[in-house]
Amino acid sequence: MLFSRRLMLGLAMAGTLASALTFPALAGEGPTEIDLYFPVPVDGKLARDMGTLIKEFNDGHPDIKATAVYTGSYDDTLIKTRASIKAGKPPAAVIMSANFLLDMQIENELTNLDALIKADGTTKEQFLGQFFPALQGNAVINRSVYGVPFHNSTPLLYINADKAKEAGLDANKPPQTWAELTDWAKKLTKRDGDKVTQWGIAIPCAYDYCGWMMETLTMSNGGRYYNEEFGGEVYYDTPSMLGALTWWNDLVSKFKVHPPGATPGPAVSTSFISGNAAMMMLSTGSLTYVRDNAKFNYKVAFIPRNVRNAVPIGGASLIIPAGVEADKQKAAWTLIKWMTSPEKSAWWSRATGYFAPNMAAYKTPDMVDFLNKNPDAKIAVEQLDVAKPWFATYKTVPVRKNLEDEVMLVLNGKKQPKDALVAAQKAADETLKPYNAETSLKLP
Amino acid sequence: MKLIDRLYKDAPLATRNEITPKLGFLLTILLAFAWLIPFLWMGVATLRPASDGINLMAELMPSLKPTLDNVRDAWEIGDFPRYLLNTTIICTGILLVQFVTITLAGFAFARLDFAGKTLIFYLFLMQLMLVPVLLIVPNLSLVAQLGLYDTLAGVMMPFFASAFGTFLMRQAFEAIPTELEDAALIDGASLIQRIRHIYVPLSLPSFSAFAIISVTSHWNDFLWPLMVINSPDKRPLTVGLSVFTKTAEGTQDWGTIAAGTLMVIAPLLITFLIFQKRFISSFVTSGIK
Repeated sequence: MLFSRRLMLGLAMAGTLASALTFPALAGEGPTEIDLYFPVPVDGKLARDMGTLIKEFNDGHPDIKATAVYTGSYDDTLIKTRASIKAGKPPAAVIMSANFLLDMQIENELTNLDALIKADGTTKEQFLGQFFPALQGNAVINRSVYGVPFHNSTPLLYINADKAKEAGLDANKPPQTWAELTDWAKKLTKRDGDKVTQWGIAIPCAYDYCGWMMETLTMSNGGRYYNEEFGGEVYYDTPSMLGALTWWNDLVSKFKVHPPGATPGPAVSTSFISGNAAMMMLSTGSLTYVRDNAKFNYKVAFIPRNVRNAVPIGGASLIIPAGVEADKQKAAWTLIKWMTSPEKSAWWSRATGYFAPNMAAYKTPDMVDFLNKNPDAKIAVEQLDVAKPWFATYKTVPVRKNLEDEVMLVLNGKKQPKDALVAAQKAADETLKPYNAETSLKLP
Repeated sequence: MKLIDRLYKDAPLATRNEITPKLGFLLTILLAFAWLIPFLWMGVATLRPASDGINLMAELMPSLKPTLDNVRDAWEIGDFPRYLLNTTIICTGILLVQFVTITLAGFAFARLDFAGKTLIFYLFLMQLMLVPVLLIVPNLSLVAQLGLYDTLAGVMMPFFASAFGTFLMRQAFEAIPTELEDAALIDGASLIQRIRHIYVPLSLPSFSAFAIISVTSHWNDFLWPLMVINSPDKRPLTVGLSVFTKTAEGTQDWGTIAAGTLMVIAPLLITFLIFQKRFISSFVTSGIK
């Protein structure tokens, strides 16, 4: 015999193994397996809530088996999604920071959802009509739908009502302008000689958060920060942003009512909860955490204005990456519609503090009940009237970091606002250059 | 003070009346204490009941009513035994393959002659300058093409060869006198036998120094396993832990984080405490400082 028996056996086994590896889908008519990437934007216990949500979905949809894949922060989630698209293994759906959609669309990394909407027998207008109008700016690109709002936020002013009372201030009439806020912060700052024992206000500045807060302040100072229609322009070196950064810097170094340095979000919420800071500006996404942990009366208010009332949208949308096979696309679409339905988005909103993007969520009996008990959860929704889209450009993360690096230098006392913004603008222009060369500077 | 007295007695005669060694000793104690504070805090925070409120969270004084609630929470949120197993598989798997590759590569660079040896060696060293993050996408597509996406083998793969390890072993092998090898050659030892019986046993300190560096860095690696792994039951410790610690919009449950962190670092910490002497001596003899 030319072939020994052992060799034949080996070949047969290798063959079985190879076919098992290559055609696992043909093995049986099992459910469509899909992955959902999700970041944990707030408290770690939400990872458990997400597990509950997906289990409920799987139980109700025997033909689909969804797996929730935890993917780090918003920025990490973008890296992982991009890497998996390039590796040819895109997940079927991702909870993606709402402002990354434009960049991903420019890079052809998103599935256009129009066809899926049409296949359901609805129009784009009907579909989008379910969500608050303010959210559409980050979901619709060139009149096509690319994202479905899932959990969204606006920044809020949190006030320790007990401390305000102590200082002779009425938290039921929160500060409405920067001047009033400065005044409150001064009255709420307690000093022991040169040492500050209680800060008037704290505003977070860490990667991701810092850019969002800068956008918040610039907007309430009348500015617009980036070109909403076109991904190649940011307005860092403008009077509205200079005024915003100068005021933030004044709170730190001139009035000394804001802790110096760039403070991450969790440190800000911790110092507010511990009474170390009497006011803070933070996402509505932290509301449930504050409600569960604050051992004092607190109030939530609109972000005060200098020129106008305006806030950016935050939070995340559901997307389908490019390159997902048709059956998985369909399964992902079922999951997305289920997750953004009034009941589910209302449940998630109560668990997290994010507001529910689906307007009908606020008409569900559980939610009406909840809002009666927790009126503070209404503020973010009311603020939506003045909300605008979230900063989104070509290469959103690097362009955002161009600004954040400079703002951190200012808050650390190492640079003056004007110099910082000039440097940030220069760096951002450099980052945006390739896109502009391809689009706005390319002449016929 | 007893400690100072003992130090006095232990000190060599000539330095007994000098102040500098004592200052050095004091400085070491201070440094050790500063190094210990985060660990103490982690222990204290882990046992602190939530009823103490966040005010006391930053305090080093232990709570009067310690509780294991945080540990239970962390345990429930994360499947720690599974994460620990995965991390152990990843670290030991990488290390075992690395031992083979760096021994052979190190030997080749130290003792063999071949064309372009210096050039290839410099290429190896240049690889040390590359930030690992840069290679995430090419590595991931390669891993996916090999069918290793979402497998532990895929996490290990890119680290099977180590430029640093090769360099370290080359230095160690070069320090071994060639006479030993010549003697073995006269006795008729093959190449593999010479490596196995002369070079490897004489370079054990370098091997253990490398093992420590390799294990700690892969134990702590977060981004790469996050990229490769999708299935929750294949997560290593770091990815599992970051469910508590990575947040974007600003809140954190410090007690649970402390408990989770404790579970993650405990195995490494205990290993270090047990083998402390060997660790330190291996670094001293291999010349890594």
